[in-house]
Amino acid sequence: MVFSQLIANGLIAGSIYALVAVGFSLIYSTNRFMHFAHGNIVAVGAYGLWYGFTRLGLPFVVSVLFAVAVALVSGWGTYRFIYLPLKRRGASSSILLIAGLALMFFFENLILLIFGSSVKTLNYFPTVRGLTILGATVTPRQIGIVVISLFFLLVLWFVMRYTKMGITIRAVAGHAELARIGGVNAERIQELSFIVGSAIAGIAGVLVALEQNSTPFMGTALIIKGFTGAVVGGITSLPGAVLGSYLVGLVENFGAWFLPSGYKDAIAFGVLVLFLLLRPAGILGVTKGVRE
Amino acid sequence: MPYLTHLFVYIATYIILAIGLNLSIGFTGLLNLGHVAFLGIGAYTSALLTLAGVPFPLAFLAAGIFAALFAPLLMYLTKNVRGDYLALSTLGFGLVAHAVFLNWISLTHGPLGIPGIPRPDIFGFVVSSRIEFFLFTVTIAGIVLFIIWLLTSSRYGTLLGAIRDDELAVAMLGKNVMRLKIQSLAIAAFLAGIAGSLSAHYITYIDPTAYDIPEIIFIVSVVIVGGLASLRGTVVATILLVLLPEALRFVDLPSSVLGPSRQLLYAVFLLLILLYRPRGLFGTVELE
Repeated sequence: MVFSQLIANGLIAGSIYALVAVGFSLIYSTNRFMHFAHGNIVAVGAYGLWYGFTRLGLPFVVSVLFAVAVALVSGWGTYRFIYLPLKRRGASSSILLIAGLALMFFFENLILLIFGSSVKTLNYFPTVRGLTILGATVTPRQIGIVVISLFFLLVLWFVMRYTKMGITIRAVAGHAELARIGGVNAERIQELSFIVGSAIAGIAGVLVALEQNSTPFMGTALIIKGFTGAVVGGITSLPGAVLGSYLVGLVENFGAWFLPSGYKDAIAFGVLVLFLLLRPAGILGVTKGVRE
Repeated sequence: MPYLTHLFVYIATYIILAIGLNLSIGFTGLLNLGHVAFLGIGAYTSALLTLAGVPFPLAFLAAGIFAALFAPLLMYLTKNVRGDYLALSTLGFGLVAHAVFLNWISLTHGPLGIPGIPRPDIFGFVVSSRIEFFLFTVTIAGIVLFIIWLLTSSRYGTLLGAIRDDELAVAMLGKNVMRLKIQSLAIAAFLAGIAGSLSAHYITYIDPTAYDIPEIIFIVSVVIVGGLASLRGTVVATILLVLLPEALRFVDLPSSVLGPSRQLLYAVFLLLILLYRPRGLFGTVELE
């Protein structure tokens, strides 16, 4: 059945987008600027896994840790060496956004220079026959991706909801100035969200590398889905980002039913523009006048 | 020497394109990341019209006008958003336009592109040699610079600057801010459209890759490096950024490395400017 297959594909894609979107959203909510290079951090994770596993010959689990570590360090580096100095001299969020674009371009071409433009395939899991669930064919690997993604989303939700760290992050996200008055080191928390967000991006990179081929340009496609998911869901709301990402996954798969597949990225943007036009605050976002 | 003439045809075309973008970002304060869409619309319009037998001068103007028609649409779609969200929406506009160029096969031939675009035929005089093209594009760039200089140093230019600095205050003076923004964006789109037409008829071939993210980053870099609201800055930055990667040619790199190194150079250069010279070379204001 085409219908249930499209739902399944949408949910699988949405699981990956959700991991990208929550990292983006976490960074945005505490730092208040759009970290455009976040998708490229995912790409760094994917290439990290490929390099660790096939080139360095590390065991799979170690390669995964290596990939997450490389992504974490890259994301942290963008904050330390680019965004933080810019923020310290009082750059506006538009300047930071353009710096993010430059970083996106930087990582994309760095990967292109180091690894070339050929696609990288990781043959860790042998391709097995898919299972049929309610008329949709899915492979065990795809089920694994959805489960692992949901697991990390739940962990993040738990941390944000119940731990001291999560509460502090939410305090800074809600009102950085008030949090500072309350004795929170807001700058530390902003840095922390970059670290956590980039680690989640690394995990997303691992899952992407397992499911599809890695290319130097994958980061751009992923960040488009990621921020669309985040904005559609209400950018400062993590559950919203998850919801928005699944929506993007579903809409683009259903859209591909009657539009040429080349429009896949454009569909996500169509959804984004529609939301910005009709409900700029997103699904779960709080409307505070016009969005600045 | 012929190569230098070739580079200056590029520079003249990019100046027209970048002046338009600076009018949006620098003079009016609209962070438009979809400017390259107008370039593409102009290029395809002009190419398809001349191939259908329309005389070049008409196709050239049509390229600008047709691109400008998309300005009210974009402004209307983004009327509720500002700042980061405006940047995001306009980037979306650019990517959707690219997707259309790539996928509307019956019109644009998709990734194969459109070959055999005729050289400009201006009432019987065909601009064909490199030096003729150089003079032609430089003349048009000069006219554009002069008109935009008149515009931005007039009261109208001051009004646009006021929108950038304090939109509410302009609205309170009874000015129609939305209409002014649409006008400013339409002029920018017109310039991008004619730049698209010029480059299409110079290279005689177009395909969608010329209207994608790398091009957006290049042209935004030009405006930021030159400085917001500075015509002189945009001209200097265009020359600098087109010539800068030419230095890589002396290192004798293989072409698979040359492309990415060039882009990497732009990214690093842009980051350095943002970090150490936020107002660009000749900028008068900083991006808010």
